[in-house]
Amino acid sequence: MTDRIIIKGTSNGLIITMGPGEWQGLIEDLSAQLGAKASFFKGGRVALRVGARQLTPAQLTAVGETLNSHNVSLWAVESEDAGTRQAAALLSLETDIGPAKSKVNPPRVARSNIDSIVTRRTLRSGQILRHSGNVVIIGDVNPGAEIQAGGDVIVWGRLRGSVHAGVKTGSEAIVCALQLSPMQLRIGDVITLPPPDDAQREMIPEIASVQNGQIIAEPWRG
Amino acid sequence: MSATVITITSGKGGVGKTTTTANLSAALAACGKKVVAIDADIGLRNLDVVMGLENRIVYDLVNVVEGTCRLRQAMIKDKRVDELYLIPAAQSRDKSALKPEDMVAVVDQLRDEFDFVIIDSPAGIEQGFKNAVAPADRVLIVTTPEVSAVRDADRIIGLIEAEEKGPADLIVNRLRLDMVKRGDMLTTDDVIDVLAINLIGIVPDDEKIIVSTNQGRPLVMENGSMAGQAFRNIGLRLMGQNVPFMSFEQPDTFMKRLSKFLMG
Repeated sequence: MTDRIIIKGTSNGLIITMGPGEWQGLIEDLSAQLGAKASFFKGGRVALRVGARQLTPAQLTAVGETLNSHNVSLWAVESEDAGTRQAAALLSLETDIGPAKSKVNPPRVARSNIDSIVTRRTLRSGQILRHSGNVVIIGDVNPGAEIQAGGDVIVWGRLRGSVHAGVKTGSEAIVCALQLSPMQLRIGDVITLPPPDDAQREMIPEIASVQNGQIIAEPWRG
Repeated sequence: MSATVITITSGKGGVGKTTTTANLSAALAACGKKVVAIDADIGLRNLDVVMGLENRIVYDLVNVVEGTCRLRQAMIKDKRVDELYLIPAAQSRDKSALKPEDMVAVVDQLRDEFDFVIIDSPAGIEQGFKNAVAPADRVLIVTTPEVSAVRDADRIIGLIEAEEKGPADLIVNRLRLDMVKRGDMLTTDDVIDVLAINLIGIVPDDEKIIVSTNQGRPLVMENGSMAGQAFRNIGLRLMGQNVPFMSFEQPDTFMKRLSKFLMG
């Protein structure tokens, strides 16, 4: 065991500071330390300070999995490197450990760090678009097509397929479309089916979000 | 001469691909074009039956690809029309007997000699569909005004776009005006609204089609049916003519006209 890894308890959960050294070796050391005091760490949440290290989303995912295997969950990665911060945002991790935050209502600013893709075509039946960030479609999403986005979903057209926004992140994601008549709409863990007479409704832009544990669609006023 | 190669496909089975292939081929040939129809539905051949040429099959498409016969020997001439030929599918084999390259090679041999090569695709999105679409210059998608057929057509359009064979054209087959009027059937507009591709033909549901396919005599060979006229119109559109879509309204009776006049 070395002092390359500093584990500190705060009101915000554990903060683990990763010192210098080869990354993979550090992870193994960390794993060993967590394993040695398993009962102490169990069920906690952990923020990582990684200094100026450049880490890819895949590396962060691996750390997350290592921590999960010790029954602790990773909620934030703080880094001086912009690429690492972006990777963390992609995985919907916080990038600022900062003062204590309410777990119930994470700030929306973090979402703007998520990268977005713009697709300029109609998604047809059987086509699936998966992206860890926000998704913008200029075109329709036809019945039988599917979108899975880590962040928000915006459809400049008719949304008649299935959409899952906020995959893994949670319920603060939004879905909006010029015509919101999805076959199935999921935001985070909340699922809704449109009312049966939905197809007959007039075409108005709408925005859907989770409010009090339910998906609510309202007219989209920008 | 350089042929236009047109593949007729649908995704869903039973929507009228084979009937459309037979009728379009005959309609184009009747307009003086040199046409060959190819049945790509290996193992479930039908086009020969619908065209009434079943009893003249000696060699088939798989024989050509495997080199058992020359291409010419597998081509059956339809004696009722000038310059209409059929290359039948093998009945004893399955879709894996062909590869997309085989289809491209066969069709390339036909390009110089014909005006149109019309390929009847099997249903589905697997090997048989890929074989049928590989040589295509244009793709016609057949659908009926049913939600399930439209869903499959949408899937196929996506696959064709991915193969860069698009944009495909759409034929809405078996439209029943009485049901549309009652609001019990999707309208052509409903179908276009989802699929958003060019409409090249609307074919009304017609009992005469069943009779004609059973007799092996494409409906376009006779006058006096709405479906036959609809297929002839698609043929003309494929030749680049601008033909307005038919109105399926029956002419008003005297009493109806009178009541319209009185009611304003």
